[in-house]
Amino acid sequence: MEDHNAPPTQQIQIAVNIETSPTTTEPVNNVVVAKQHLISQILIQFHAGYFRIGLSLCGQALLWKTLGDGEDQGDSHITFHVCHMLPPTAFVLLWSIALFTLGALSVVYLLRCFLHFKRVKAEFLDHIGVNYLFAPWISWLLLLQSSPFLSPKTFYYLILWWVFTVPILVLDVKIYGQWFTKGKRFLSMVANPTSQLSVIGNLAGSSAAAQMGWKEAALFLFSLGMAHYLVLFVTLYQRLSGSNSIPTMHRPVFFLFIAAPSMASLAWDSISGTFDISSKMLFFLSLFLFVSLVTRPTLFKKSMRKYSVAWWAYSFPLSVLALASAKYAQEVKGGVAHGIMLGLSALSVLVSLVLMVFTALNNKMLFPGSTSLNRHNSGSME
Amino acid sequence: MENSGYSLSAPQNYPEIIPSLIDYIGSKRVAGFDSIEANNNVSDHSQEAGYQPSLTDGGSEVPISQNDASQTIKSQHSVSISMPSSPVGALLQSPKRVLFSDKNETIPANEALHTSAQSETASSQQPKTKYYSQPMPRGSANPEVVIDGACLHHFRERLRNPRMDRLKDKRFDPFKTWSGRLERQISNLRGKPQEEPEANVSQSTEIEALPVDRYFDALEGPELDTLRASEEIVLPEDKQWPFLLRFPISSFGICLGISSQAIMWKTLATSPSTDFLHISLTVNLVLWCISLVLTAIVSLTYILKVILYFEAVRREYYHPIRVNFFFAPWIVLLFLALGVPPSVAKNLHASLWYILMTPIFCLELKIYGQWMSGGQRRLSKVANPSNHLSIVGNFVGALLGASMGLKEAPIFFFAVGLAHYTVLFVTLYQRLPTNETLPKELHPVFFLFVAAPSVASMAWAKIQGSFDHGSRISYFIALFLYFSLAVRINFFRGFRFSLAWWAYTFPMTGASIATIKYTNEITNPVTQSLSVILCSVAMLTVTALLITTCIHAFVLQNLFPNDIAIAISDKRPKSQRKWFHLRTGSSDTRDIENYLKFAFPDSKDNEASPKAQVPDDEALGPNNGHNV
Repeated sequence: MEDHNAPPTQQIQIAVNIETSPTTTEPVNNVVVAKQHLISQILIQFHAGYFRIGLSLCGQALLWKTLGDGEDQGDSHITFHVCHMLPPTAFVLLWSIALFTLGALSVVYLLRCFLHFKRVKAEFLDHIGVNYLFAPWISWLLLLQSSPFLSPKTFYYLILWWVFTVPILVLDVKIYGQWFTKGKRFLSMVANPTSQLSVIGNLAGSSAAAQMGWKEAALFLFSLGMAHYLVLFVTLYQRLSGSNSIPTMHRPVFFLFIAAPSMASLAWDSISGTFDISSKMLFFLSLFLFVSLVTRPTLFKKSMRKYSVAWWAYSFPLSVLALASAKYAQEVKGGVAHGIMLGLSALSVLVSLVLMVFTALNNKMLFPGSTSLNRHNSGSME
Repeated sequence: MENSGYSLSAPQNYPEIIPSLIDYIGSKRVAGFDSIEANNNVSDHSQEAGYQPSLTDGGSEVPISQNDASQTIKSQHSVSISMPSSPVGALLQSPKRVLFSDKNETIPANEALHTSAQSETASSQQPKTKYYSQPMPRGSANPEVVIDGACLHHFRERLRNPRMDRLKDKRFDPFKTWSGRLERQISNLRGKPQEEPEANVSQSTEIEALPVDRYFDALEGPELDTLRASEEIVLPEDKQWPFLLRFPISSFGICLGISSQAIMWKTLATSPSTDFLHISLTVNLVLWCISLVLTAIVSLTYILKVILYFEAVRREYYHPIRVNFFFAPWIVLLFLALGVPPSVAKNLHASLWYILMTPIFCLELKIYGQWMSGGQRRLSKVANPSNHLSIVGNFVGALLGASMGLKEAPIFFFAVGLAHYTVLFVTLYQRLPTNETLPKELHPVFFLFVAAPSVASMAWAKIQGSFDHGSRISYFIALFLYFSLAVRINFFRGFRFSLAWWAYTFPMTGASIATIKYTNEITNPVTQSLSVILCSVAMLTVTALLITTCIHAFVLQNLFPNDIAIAISDKRPKSQRKWFHLRTGSSDTRDIENYLKFAFPDSKDNEASPKAQVPDDEALGPNNGHNV
C-alpha cells in the first residue's frame, strides 16, 4: 500500500485481520464468505495508483502504433523495417490486453467508488493520491488515440473524447484553483512529482483533440497545461521542502519529469502539424532529464528493494519518451535520431515486459494483506 | 616569617633582581594597584606559562591568608611580590600554594615543585633557589603543582596549532593529493632524502566531503569567502600558504573577460553596422593571442593544483559558489573558438565542438541533478547569481554550434539551458528566505544576470538564421537588466576586489555584442550609438579591472590572498577551543580569562557560555531557515 494511505490502512488492517481470522479457521464451508471478504479487501486496498499499470500498457500500445505508422509513411530506414517485422496482430493483441486491463481497473475502481466512497474521498484529499485521479482518463485517452479501428474523424471518437476530457477539466479547475487559493494546499506545500500528472492529462486531451481536427480546443488544453507546467517545473526544481515531500517508495515517480515534456512535445506536434523547433526543444529537455535521472541510480535504490506497484511508474514515461523520439526520427531522418528512437523504444518495451513478469510473479504483493496468506506482509508497505 | 625566610633563603638572587624591581615598583606605588603592576612585572618573566593572572589572585590572597605579618607584607607588598625568583613568584604561580604560606615546613620537594614550575617559566633568569621556608605541605600542594606543571605542559602543547610541527610544510599535507604521499613519491623519484611521514597523515583521512551547510555556517559575504568570526580554519592564518593553494578556480574569470573582449572586437570589425568605426582585425588578433596565452597559463597552473593539491580542489568543488566556476574553463575555450581571428582559422571542425561540450554536459548533469533531487544542495538553498555561469555554457555552446553549421545539437543545449534558466531566474527573483547565498546588497556578481539573456538571444538568432522575435525578446530583457543595474552603479562601491570580478565583465561584453547583432538587423543612429556606448563601457571596465589587477599583483602583492573558503573546518569549533587557540599578542583580559579557566573550572563555563552562545546563535540563525 502506498504511504499516503498508511494511517487509515493500518487501522483497517488490524480490523480486517481480526475479522478474517475466524473465517479462515473455518474450512471450505465458507468459501463464498471468504471470497466476499477477498473482494472487499481488494476494493479497500485498491487505489488510483494502480492505474499506473493501465497508463503503461496504453502508452505501450500508442508507441507500437506510432512505430507502425512510421513505417506506413514510407520511411525506408532500416529501423522501420525492423518494426515492420512485428506483425500487426501483435499490436492488436497488445491493444486488447491494454483495453482489458484498463477496463478491469476501471470496474474495480468504480466499485470502490460506490462501496467505499469514503476511501476515495480520502484519496482525493491526499496530496499525492489526488494526482492519480487523472490517471484513468489519461489511459483512456491514450487508448482512444491508439485504437486500431476507431478513426479520429468518427462520431464515436468525439463522444468518447468528451467523456474522457470533461472529468479532466473538472479536476483541473478544482486542483489548480487550490494551488493558489486554498491555504492548506498551496503549491509550494503540495508540489511533488506526481503533480505533473495533471499537466499530462491536459496535454493528452490536447493531443487527442488535435487529431480530431479541433484546433482551438487542443490549443486551449495545451496552453492550460503548459502554463501550469511552467509553474510546477520551477517549483519542483526548487525543492523547497527538500526530498521529504515524497516517501522513498515513491521515488520512481521522478520519472514523471520525463513524461511531461515529452507529452508536450507530442501535443505541440499534433497541433502544429510538424515536429517543429518547439517540439524539438521539449523533446530534448525530456531527453536531458532522462539522462540525468538514469545517471543517478542512488536516488532509486531504496525504492527498488521490494516490489511495489510504484515500479510501474517507470514504464509510462519511457513509453512517452520513446514516442516523442519516434516522431523526432520521422521528422529528422538521420542515423542518430533513429538510433535514439530504437534504443528508447527497446528500453520501454523491455521495462514493460519486465514489470509484467514481476507483477505476475508477485501478484500476491499487488494487494498486500488482501489474502489470508499474506498476513505478515502488511508490515512493509509500499 | 616571609620576609625573614626570604632574606635567609635566597640571598644570591635577591640583590640581583630586587633593586631594579623595587625601583620600578616604588616609582609606581599606588595603593590598590601595586599588586597588579607587580603581576605585570612577573608576567614578563613567566609569559608563556600564563601564570600571571594567578598573581592577581595570589597577590590578593597573600594578605588574606597570612595572619601574621600581614601588615608587613602589605607594606612591603610590592617588594615581596615583585621578586621574580622568589618563592612567592613560584608560590604565586599556583594560588593554592599561597594558602599554606603560614606553615614553615621545609620541603625538599619544593625544589621539585620549583623546578617543575620553573621549567615552564623563564627559568634561565632564576637559577636554583632553595626556599626552605616554603609554606607548602608536601602532600597537598605538590601533586597539584606537579599536576599544574604537567597540565601546563600539555596546555602548551595544545596551545600550539596541532599541525605546526618543526617542518611547517606538514601543515598543508592534508590538502595535498593523497595527503602528501604523491609529493613524497615524486620527491622519492627525484632522489631527495625523505623524512618519516608524521602522524599527521592519519589526520588526512578525516577530510571527506564537507556538507554544504558547513560552508554556509562558516563563511559569509557575497562570494562566501570571508570567515565568520566564530569559525576557525584548519590552515594557519598568519602564514602565506603555498601559491597553488591560494590559486582559486575563479582565476579563470580573467580568461573569460579577455576572451569575450576578443569576440567583441572581432564583431566590431566584421559587422556591417559598425563599419563606420573602421576597426581593424588586428585588435582581435592581439587580444585573442593574449587570451590564448593567459588561458594556457591559468589552465596549467590549475592542472598543477589538481595534481598536487587535489583535496583543495575538492573543497572548491563543494563550495556552493565556486562550483559554478568549474564551468569557466570550458566556456573560455568556447569563447576562444568563437573569437578565433579569421586569419588563424576560417572554419573549425565540428568534432571540436563535441569535445568542448562533453565536459559541460557532464557537469550539467551533475549540478542540475543536484538541484532536482532535493538533497542538501537543492536549488532553494544554494541558488546564487553565480549559478548563471552554469547556464550560460549551454547558450554559448549553442551559439558556437550553430555558427559551425550544426543543426540539432545546438537546439538540444539551447532547450536545456532555457528550461533551467527559467527555473534559476524565478528562484533568484523570489529571494527565498531559505536562501542565504544571495548577497543582501548589490554586488558586481549581479551583472551575471545580464549574461544569459544576451547570449541566448545571439544563439537563437544563429539557430533561426535571423534576429527574429524570440531573439529580440531575449535581447530586450538583457538590456533592461543591464540598465537597471547600471543606474544603481553607486551601490557597487565598497567591495573588496577579488579575482572573481573578472567573471562579471563578460556579461557587459556579451550585451554589447548582442547590441551589435541587433544593430545589424535594425540599423539606425540610435542603435548604432547604443552599440558604440556599450562597447566603450565594456572596454573601459576591462581596462580598469586590468589596471586594478596589476596593482594588486605587483604593487600590493595580494592578488592571491590565502583562500580561506577552502580551509574551513569540518566541525564548528567548540567554545573551549577558543581558549586554546594560540593568538598573537597578549592582553590582560585574555590573561584573566586564561587564569579563570585554569583556576576556576566552574566559572570557566560561566564565562565561556555567554560568549560562546553569541557565535552559536549567529551560526544557528541561518540554520533555522533550513528547516523549512
